[in-house]
Amino acid sequence: MIMESLQTVLNGLRRSLAAPSRTPRMAVVIGRLLAIAFLLCFGTGLFSHFLQDPLPWMVFPTRPVFLYQVTQGIHITAGILCFPLLFAKLYIVFPELFQTPAVRSFPHFLERASIAVFVSSSIVQIVTGLLNTYQWYALFPFPFRQTHYALSFVIVGSLAIHIAVKLDVIAKHWRKSVAEPSTVAELVEAPGISTSSIPGGAATRPTLTSSHTRNAVIRVEGVTGRLFAWIDSTPRPEPRTSRRGFLAIVGVASAAVVALTAGQSFRLLDGANVFGARKQGVGPNSLPVNRTATAAKVRDAASDPDWALTVSNGATSATYTRAQLLALPQREVELPIACVEGWSQTATWRGVRLGDLVDAVGGRGGSSIRATSLEQNSSYAIMHMGPEYVRDDLTLVALELNGETLDLDHGFPARMIAPGRPGVLQTKWLSTLEVL
Amino acid sequence: MTATRRWQIALVAVGVLLLLLGGLTLINDVNPKRYLGLAAWLLGALVIHDGVISLTVFGANVAMRKTGGRLRIPLPALLILQGALVVAGIMTLIVVPAALKKSIGTGNATLLPLDYGLHLVVFYAALAVVTALSLAVYAVVRRRRRRPVRSA
Repeated sequence: MIMESLQTVLNGLRRSLAAPSRTPRMAVVIGRLLAIAFLLCFGTGLFSHFLQDPLPWMVFPTRPVFLYQVTQGIHITAGILCFPLLFAKLYIVFPELFQTPAVRSFPHFLERASIAVFVSSSIVQIVTGLLNTYQWYALFPFPFRQTHYALSFVIVGSLAIHIAVKLDVIAKHWRKSVAEPSTVAELVEAPGISTSSIPGGAATRPTLTSSHTRNAVIRVEGVTGRLFAWIDSTPRPEPRTSRRGFLAIVGVASAAVVALTAGQSFRLLDGANVFGARKQGVGPNSLPVNRTATAAKVRDAASDPDWALTVSNGATSATYTRAQLLALPQREVELPIACVEGWSQTATWRGVRLGDLVDAVGGRGGSSIRATSLEQNSSYAIMHMGPEYVRDDLTLVALELNGETLDLDHGFPARMIAPGRPGVLQTKWLSTLEVL
Repeated sequence: MTATRRWQIALVAVGVLLLLLGGLTLINDVNPKRYLGLAAWLLGALVIHDGVISLTVFGANVAMRKTGGRLRIPLPALLILQGALVVAGIMTLIVVPAALKKSIGTGNATLLPLDYGLHLVVFYAALAVVTALSLAVYAVVRRRRRRPVRSA
């Protein structure tokens, strides 16, 4: 009895939720876009991860210099774009949540469980990703970077399984079919039909929301019955207009969130950046700061007049005060600083070529270095740099930024700047450089 | 075995492999003490989305269509209104946390440097203007279409 009325409610909900925009075709159209956005985030995310934690055999390109700026800009922008796309996709398939029977078989249970994992990890992933760009870590009771990395595999894995399960539906609706509008209209305007009146009946296993069988049964009885009857008397939307309207809404929402935030990563859109977490040109030396000197607890050590940079290669070592570094041949480069949080900005850096300092202590061609910052308690206080960056002409120990002395928040007295690396590896407040 | 079947098997295999990799990464990189918090977030996401947001959207949609029917508002006009609400809603979800975090304080003047609350209000106003214009354009187009075309 209870099961029966529950089933009635579920069926009623599913049928009431039916809408012209909730079709398998629409799920495929939006699903494709969402899958592209997810895979873009996954690919660029892996690139960023391995730049920070490379496997021993990995070598990275240093050109184009804006490579990381672009990949990470895409990572964050595509992530923000996932908000309207994911909501649209979940809106389309929402009636599936109320399918009856809730679990038909063990494979069906696995399918539903994998979708639950997929949906919840996707939501958590984009929400925590966004909050990370606001550096609002206090909100999550788990470490951001590790969790974000682990969840990315869970999401792409569930995506693959989801595509496998729905492959028939996806193939069937990959291209626009002419017949579809009528089936949806039937679905929306079929209040009284029962399963037995449908040829094939409940025995055929229907797919997604356009199925008559799983949507049809409803009895106008009791409170729920009256509620559904009330909902059913709602004016029916015209299918074609509704579908076009739905796509237009998703399009406008997507364009709006991208246009008004992506200026933090792409200079072209800077003028429209009213909601980005960063603004180009805002900050000391006209450049945003990821971690301030205060947050890194280096104010005293970095302002110490006795500061000196030690460069060593085994037993050979050399020490340079800031004045001595400034007396060495200086080089000026235009390089972007591109943060893992997605913002980036090109700046003018001036300082000593890293290769020259390594040469001065007898470092050889293929050597990498370990840089240590004055920074305390940070996983980025020690940074490894592969030979491709060490020997790059553009890699500097920077002393000036945008024509001024490097600000304390930007790594005064001296910091690293190399092409194509994440900002967290452009070590600030340098203390030692060891040739390995 | 059909080609579709082969693809399905391959995709499931890749999927399971990636899920295992994700699980192992979680076990290796995240302290077990944090699992409960993560589980709460994962469950909370489902509850908030499926239980609150989706049902609210559904209710608002039914209510709007009811009202639209009573007032004889044509569907495209209703869709323009609904679209404006959806765009405003999504932008609110993205921007309000920025405004809140800024008001709590970031300890970094270059992080969240804009006046997000003000910008959001201006955005709502601009959206309202664009919505009104779209409705006006739609009304004109509809009237023209309804008027029988007379040739000289």
